[in-house]
Amino acid sequence: MLPLESDIVNLERVWVAYSGSDKPAMRNINLRVSAGKLMLITGPNGAGKTTLLETCLGLLKPYRGRAYLFGVDTRSWRIREARKMCSFVPQDFIKPPFEAYTVRRIIQLGFAPYKSIFESLTEKENERIQWVLELLGIEDLLDRPIGTLSGGQQQRVVIARALSRKPRALYLDEPFSSLDREGRKLVSKVVSEYVKKKGATAIIVSHDVNPIIKYADAIVRMDNGEIISGDCYA
Amino acid sequence: MLEILALALLAAVLSGNLCGAVGFYVQRLKITTLSFSVAHAALAGASLGLILNFDPVYSAMVFAISSALILGFIFTKIKYGRELVSMAIFSASSAIALFAIYMSNVRVLATASIAVVLWGSLLAVTVQKLIILVLVLILFALYILAYRMHIDSMLYDVKMAEAEGLNVQAHMLAMLFFAGVIISLSLRLTGGFLVFALLYNPVAAALQLTRKAYMQLFLSSTLGAVSASTGLVVSYALDWPVGATIAIVSSTILLLAYLFKTATEMARKRKLRNVGGPGAI
Ligand SMILES: Nc1ncnc2c1ncn2[C@@H]1O[C@H](COP(=O)(O)OP(=O)(O)O)[C@@H](O)[C@H]1O
Ligand SMILES: [Mg+2]
Repeated sequence: MLPLESDIVNLERVWVAYSGSDKPAMRNINLRVSAGKLMLITGPNGAGKTTLLETCLGLLKPYRGRAYLFGVDTRSWRIREARKMCSFVPQDFIKPPFEAYTVRRIIQLGFAPYKSIFESLTEKENERIQWVLELLGIEDLLDRPIGTLSGGQQQRVVIARALSRKPRALYLDEPFSSLDREGRKLVSKVVSEYVKKKGATAIIVSHDVNPIIKYADAIVRMDNGEIISGDCYA
Repeated sequence: MLEILALALLAAVLSGNLCGAVGFYVQRLKITTLSFSVAHAALAGASLGLILNFDPVYSAMVFAISSALILGFIFTKIKYGRELVSMAIFSASSAIALFAIYMSNVRVLATASIAVVLWGSLLAVTVQKLIILVLVLILFALYILAYRMHIDSMLYDVKMAEAEGLNVQAHMLAMLFFAGVIISLSLRLTGGFLVFALLYNPVAAALQLTRKAYMQLFLSSTLGAVSASTGLVVSYALDWPVGATIAIVSSTILLLAYLFKTATEMARKRKLRNVGGPGAI
């Protein structure tokens, strides 16, 4: 087990650049988020929001500065242990029509990092999946291949996977992009309730106005690879 | 002679099976270019074995495994340059292979060992190699079954799997390692230049025929086995080079699968048109 840190995410003067690009995508970012907080990150396209989220998870590494997840330097090999406590909803989640994994399987796969060899899901874990699906109103999609679902339905499925794993930190990249108004409201409510009840942390990226704003403990605005306003300590 | 043919046939079924299966994973994990260089490194290894008087299968394996490990590590360190490194290994390996063939004495061109590098040989299969094939098949199957959830998670979405704390790099490395071993063992049969026919054609055909991941895996390994064994029998009957015959059979299967898919797609569209035709609404 990792030591319990009050800081879930801690970025110290972090610079990130994509290979092949001579302009940093993120410049001199300081960010600290502690347990039980919900942070919203906004800003126009290309502001560096996705880059920030992936840096928090250690999917992108800083070339200057340091990034810590649950107190673990994201460059350390122990980062995998920290990631196991996190769930991630990527921005590009939509699968092509021929993708045949069923909704049930996709959500089960979120438990893979907790499983040792030859192990599959427990009864309790399967019940939890069922419960989360009902919470998000997609329980009737359980046996449908993901490729046959609409964008909004697919988005609910990845959010269900994220919540099923009982993460201590949630990283959601544009989780409302394909949802209608009702869907946005529902997901905002479910995610914020999860954060409050479990004392979990959520960092949510969204470029437009959305209902999660009224649950946010901190709102950070980015532009051009920098934080231009807001509270970077939550 | 019949005994040799039976041995070769068994080896063909096993190699085809393994190539089809590993080809499926390599394709789904999008490391086809990496496996392409691993295959060429195996070829380079086999040809060096030729001039240095080693068993080409083992020298191929050493080269294939080392290049798999190198590429696997590069995969963990840099995310964008690996196609280039891959291409460099690929061209350097092909060059080494051709140099080795050029430098080895021309009169050995007809022997079994150079056949391994160039066009494959029926005579090259021994009981020992067969046992190794069976062992690799068991190991690969165990690996796939033991890590079924982990591998499935990567097949579905590598980035999500990595973000959730899965050891993606280790599994990529393991897959490349198996690809290296399986390619080296199959070289005997197909020759170094045509091993891809057995690696990529079966999975390409399977993708035409079904959408279900497990069916694709099953079909890919079955079609691999069918291609290799049919190719072997035809080459024996007509006295053609084995590797080229296997390549022709597997390409034919791919073409048929493609035609089948196109035909069923057209039939489906026609049916939809008839159902939704004028007056239907
Ligand atoms: N894979 C990539 N390679 C090179 N540049 C990238 C890549 N991804 C994003 N960028 C650049 O990094 C900057 C920030 O991108 P991103 O974090 O995706 O913005 P946002 O999520 O706020 O829309 C942009 O200028 C974008 O062009
Ligand atoms: Mg983005």
